[in-house]
Amino acid sequence: MKHITTLFIGIALWVAVGCTNINSQHGPSVTELRPGERGFVVGLGIESQDLVTISEKMARGILGAEPISNAEGKPVVVLEPINNDTRFPIDKDIFLTRIRVALSKNAAGKISFVAREHMDKLEKERDLKISGQVTGGEKITGNKFKGADFILTGTFKAISSRGASGASDYVLYTFQLIDPDTSDIVWEDFHEIKKQGKDDVTYR
Amino acid sequence: MKIATNILVLCALLFAACQAPIIRRVPEFNGDLVAAGHRKIAQAPAHDKNRWRLITAVHALNLGQHDEARTLLTTAMPSAGQILQSDARTRLAQSLFSPENIKGFHGESHERAMGWFYRGMFYWMDDEPDNARACFRTAQLMDALAAQPKHRADWVLIDYLDGYITTKLGRDGGDARTRAQANVGTTALPDYNLKANVMVFLQFGFGPMKKTGGDVGEKIVYDGGHSQVRAARITVGGRTLIAPAFDNLTFQASTRGNRAMDAILAKKAGIKKTGDLVGDIGVTAGAILTSEPKTEGAGVALLGAGLAGKIIGGSTEPRADTRTWTNLPQHLSFAALQLPTGTHTAVIEFLDTNGIALPDRQKNVSVTVQTGRDTVLFVSD
Repeated sequence: MKHITTLFIGIALWVAVGCTNINSQHGPSVTELRPGERGFVVGLGIESQDLVTISEKMARGILGAEPISNAEGKPVVVLEPINNDTRFPIDKDIFLTRIRVALSKNAAGKISFVAREHMDKLEKERDLKISGQVTGGEKITGNKFKGADFILTGTFKAISSRGASGASDYVLYTFQLIDPDTSDIVWEDFHEIKKQGKDDVTYR
Repeated sequence: MKIATNILVLCALLFAACQAPIIRRVPEFNGDLVAAGHRKIAQAPAHDKNRWRLITAVHALNLGQHDEARTLLTTAMPSAGQILQSDARTRLAQSLFSPENIKGFHGESHERAMGWFYRGMFYWMDDEPDNARACFRTAQLMDALAAQPKHRADWVLIDYLDGYITTKLGRDGGDARTRAQANVGTTALPDYNLKANVMVFLQFGFGPMKKTGGDVGEKIVYDGGHSQVRAARITVGGRTLIAPAFDNLTFQASTRGNRAMDAILAKKAGIKKTGDLVGDIGVTAGAILTSEPKTEGAGVALLGAGLAGKIIGGSTEPRADTRTWTNLPQHLSFAALQLPTGTHTAVIEFLDTNGIALPDRQKNVSVTVQTGRDTVLFVSD
């Protein structure tokens, strides 16, 4: 009798665990990963681990670049949007933002960045101050908006192919620090990533 | 008595095989296609929601609800580099006893390409031409698996726009334009107007529909789309421009060639047909043989084999996935215009094969041109 009860409970448990509905609402739980980690949703495109690796590498490169390391005072860097020449639509600011944050964190005040993307709002605020509508106008003498000592920008290029054996994407990430007075590229670095994969047979 | 038993067995088999038709209720509709689409998305099973999102996105696009369309497209489509991985449903789709349409819907290559084409258009609307170009390139790559080399990545408008954006961004877009011209045939594509600041995306007609082909529905065949319209005439600011048809979606869909899945479906179809044949022969011959005492044993064995064949044949599901993005157009077209800053009214006439304007199709579209960026319009007939 005892064996039969155990067997019955065992079978009931096995059935309960084994029966799954593929339409179940109770999917896998959320897994938190570090942004530099490769997740289980992987693709051929530009992913967070690429962003982290590349931005850290570029930030180190910029800090070590002679025009920055030997600069007198704090050079002013302006970020210009990246030229995306790949097949992947991207948020073009995210790489530069990530590099800027990494530089700000590690440069210990050696570089300053100007917020050109907020120029409209900054001009509005300055005009309000000068007109006396808000306080602080007395401190403004002349134009205090800083010009750039260097412009940081980049270009992403890619070679993409797709065939019966799968798809492959090579992406070349290049970043340049440009002296706007001379148009000299004072620093440049690159990173390249090649990925390949294959859709499930039902989608090929 | 035995004959009566055999007849009863056969009748029971026949009854068991007859299935009552599935009754589908007529969907509620109050004239709002986008709201109806959202209801369909909510009601659809998880593996079919994306198809309804895509269909609703085009309804929203046609109604000028661009934010709605953009959100639906983004939700429905995988990211540009995403690998479509195996899951429980794709495994079932390959199994003998499930049809292909049990898998999640991502569409065939022409449908995927259209998704990326629309998303590219939206990026251009958002003044991100390089991201628009990225989408157009992904769209073209969706067509890279066509069976015939000459049909691979041969969308004309997609290459044309790739070259156009590249040229507008100060690089050489000549290669893409050359490919576009080579694929369009005799139609002379307009030269790139680098001063143009209004991009008009046009689409005409009804696109291709999938239906089952083969002996047991194991193939996808395309019902060609239809369009009376072959070109559009755009009149604005005292200037007139003809926008020819660049692409034909029926051509793109039907030149895809065999899919990898077709081999699996062909195998399933072979098993189904063999099972049915064995079943027919076994049951008929078995029924006859069991009626004679001398051959009763062999008859029962044949009947059993026949029944087994019938069960396998009847349970095998070789049907191809014919779910379709039903509101795609037949033709894609494009025109680029240069207009001064301000609001203008563009008159768009749709022309038939003889170049005569169809009287009931004319549209007046308001265009607001801003300084320093392109204005992107979408017009459907």
